[in-house]
Amino acid sequence: MKVAPLIALVAALAFVSGAAQAQGKAAAKDALLYFVSPTNGAIIKGGFWCRFGLRHMGVTHAGDDFPNSGHHHLLIDVDEPLDPNEPIPADKNHVHFVAGQTETYLDLPPGRHTLQLVLGDGRHYPFNPPLVSAKITITVK
Amino acid sequence: MPDKIRDINSGRNEKTNEQPRTFAPRRLAAIVAGDIASYSRLMEFDEEGTHSRVRRIQRDLIEPSITEHYGRLVKTTGDGFIAIFDSPLEAVRCAIVIQQNMTGRNAVLSKNLWIEYRIGVNLGDVIIEEGDIYGDGVNVASRIEGIAEPGQVFISGGIYEQIKNKLVCGYESLGDKKVKNITDPVRVYKVLPDPTAYKSRRRRDTVLILLISLAWLGIAAAAVWAWFPGLQRLASAPSGPLLQSAPSPQADANAKQPEPAKASGAATPEKQAALQGAPPAHTAAVREPIMNTLPGGTFSMGSNEDASEKPVRRVTVKPFAIGRYPISVGEWNQCATAKACAFTAKGRDDAPVTNVSWSDAKQFVTWLAGATKKPYRLPTEAEWEYAARGGTQTRYWWGDEIQSGMANCKNCTDVVSAEQPIRVGNFQANPFGLYDMGGGVDQWVEDCWHKNYQGAPSDGSAWVEGDCGSHVIRSGSWKNDARYVRPSNRDAYDNARYPTHGLRVALSP
Repeated sequence: MKVAPLIALVAALAFVSGAAQAQGKAAAKDALLYFVSPTNGAIIKGGFWCRFGLRHMGVTHAGDDFPNSGHHHLLIDVDEPLDPNEPIPADKNHVHFVAGQTETYLDLPPGRHTLQLVLGDGRHYPFNPPLVSAKITITVK
Repeated sequence: MPDKIRDINSGRNEKTNEQPRTFAPRRLAAIVAGDIASYSRLMEFDEEGTHSRVRRIQRDLIEPSITEHYGRLVKTTGDGFIAIFDSPLEAVRCAIVIQQNMTGRNAVLSKNLWIEYRIGVNLGDVIIEEGDIYGDGVNVASRIEGIAEPGQVFISGGIYEQIKNKLVCGYESLGDKKVKNITDPVRVYKVLPDPTAYKSRRRRDTVLILLISLAWLGIAAAAVWAWFPGLQRLASAPSGPLLQSAPSPQADANAKQPEPAKASGAATPEKQAALQGAPPAHTAAVREPIMNTLPGGTFSMGSNEDASEKPVRRVTVKPFAIGRYPISVGEWNQCATAKACAFTAKGRDDAPVTNVSWSDAKQFVTWLAGATKKPYRLPTEAEWEYAARGGTQTRYWWGDEIQSGMANCKNCTDVVSAEQPIRVGNFQANPFGLYDMGGGVDQWVEDCWHKNYQGAPSDGSAWVEGDCGSHVIRSGSWKNDARYVRPSNRDAYDNARYPTHGLRVALSP
C-alpha cells in the first residue's frame, strides 16, 4: 500500500472537485453516437423502443466524473441549435437518461418526428466538440 | 456447453455434496460463465506453470469471490468456471471483483503471461443436478462469455434490466447479438470497467482514500471553526487567545452532536458546558422556512393540455402548510453545516438552492424534521398543484394568458432571456401568498413518476407505488418556457442532480 500516491490522488480529487465547471471536455476522437433503432425514415405504428448506441466511450450515471464517459440525452423534435456552453436543457423535448439507460420506450403522437442523441458529461454539459448522433426522422402512424 | 468442457471437476462447494436436493430441480438463476482467453497458447507456453497458476486463481480468487457474493460454484473446467447466484446484482458484482483482481495480478507480469478471463452473465431458468447445471440460460451465458473481450464482463439484457438502476457503473449497449446455436438474438451489454474502477477496485484503497478525505475534511472544518468564532469574537470583544481556545470545545461538541437542535433541546449540564464556547449560529435553533398554512379542499387536478396531465380528476387535500418560497441557499447550508446534506450550496443566501437531486431533497427534509422536531417533508404532487393553483382553475393562476412579470421563465418576461433567479420571491405571489410556484426553480415532490393520472390516489397522498426510478418535478424553471409554468404541468427526472432543480418543503399540521 503506497500512501504517497494516494495522498496525491486525494489532493488531485479535491482540486478537481474544487474546479468550478466541468464543461468543454473532449470526447474520445473515434467516439460514435448512433441509433441502434429506429432507423432513419422508419414508419412506426404506435409506441416503440428507441435504442442508443455508443462506441469507444462509456455510459455512466450523471454526476460521475469518469474519463471518457457520459450519459445519453434524447432530443425529440428539437430544432434550435445546442449551446455547448450550457447544460443540455431538461424538458419534454430533451429527455435525460441520467441512470445510464441505453434505451427508452417512446409513445409519440402520430406524425413526423425528429430524434437526435447528445452525449452529456457528468454535469450534463455537451462535450467539446459536441458528440451528437445523426438526426433521424421517423413517422408515427 | 459440452463442446467446451475439457476436464470437469464437480463443484467443490461443500453445500453441493451435502444437500444436493435442497434446490428445486428447475429454478431461475443468474448464471456467471467465465473462461480464460488464449488458454491453449498459455498452456503451450508453460503447461505446468499455467495449470498451477490457474488452480491458484480459482482457489484464492474465484471461489472466495463467489461465496462472498452469495453464489454457488457449480463447476470448474480446465480453463473456466460456472457459478449461479440468486441475485443478478451479486452475480455482476462478483464478476467485476474477479476482473479487477485479475487486472491487479496481471499488472506485474509481462503481457504474454497474462491470464485474462472473459465473463458472461445471463439470467435464465436452469436445471440443477449434482455438479452441473443445464438449460438454455446456461448456454446463453456461455455464448455471451464467448463473445466477451478478455478482461471484460458482458451481461445479457435480462441481467441489465435487473441491475441498471442498482449497480453504479457504466453499461455499453452492444445491441442484439446472434450467438451460436441460439435462435433468437441476445441483447448484450458490456459492463464498463472504468466507471467502477474507483468504486470497487480494492476496498482497502477505497477505505484509505475515504479516511484521508475525512481527515482533510476534518482539518478544513476545524479551520473554518477556528476562523468563524474568532472573527465573531473579534467583532464584539477583540482578544487574541480566543482564536486558539475556541476551536477545540466546538470541534468536540460538533463531533458528539451532529444535530445541533437536539443538543440544545436535551442538553445535559456537561454538554451545555461543552457547548458554551460555541458560536450562536451553531447552537441557536434552526432558522425554519417561512410556511403558509393552507386550508384543505377539493380541486380539479390535471388538465387536457398534455397527455401526462390526464385524466383531470377531483382530488381532496387535507389542511397542510407549505413553504412560502423555495428553499434558499442559506436554509440549505444549515443542513450542509450540520453535515446532514451532501453539499454546500454556492451563491447568495436568499437565492433558491439548485442542483438538488431527489435524494438530496429528502436528506434536507429529514434533517429539517429532526432538527426542529416537526414533521417537515416534501409536498405530495397533489398538494403542490393545489397550492400552485391558489384556488383557481385557469391555465395559470392569474388567468389563461401568460403575463410579463408573473413568473421567471424563458420568453415569459419582457427581458429576452430569463436568468437564474438571484433570490426567492422576486415575482408576484399567488392567491395563497406563495411565491415561485411556477418558473424560477423546478421543485421535487414526494411522488414517483407515472406517465399519467390513470390509477392515481384522490386523497392528496403521494403516489409512490410502482417503479420509482424517476420522481415528479414541478414548477418548471427559468430555462423552460411558459407551458412549464402552468400549475398542472408535470415532469419527471431520475434521481440525479441538475442545475435547475430545487425544492420546497411541506409540513403536516
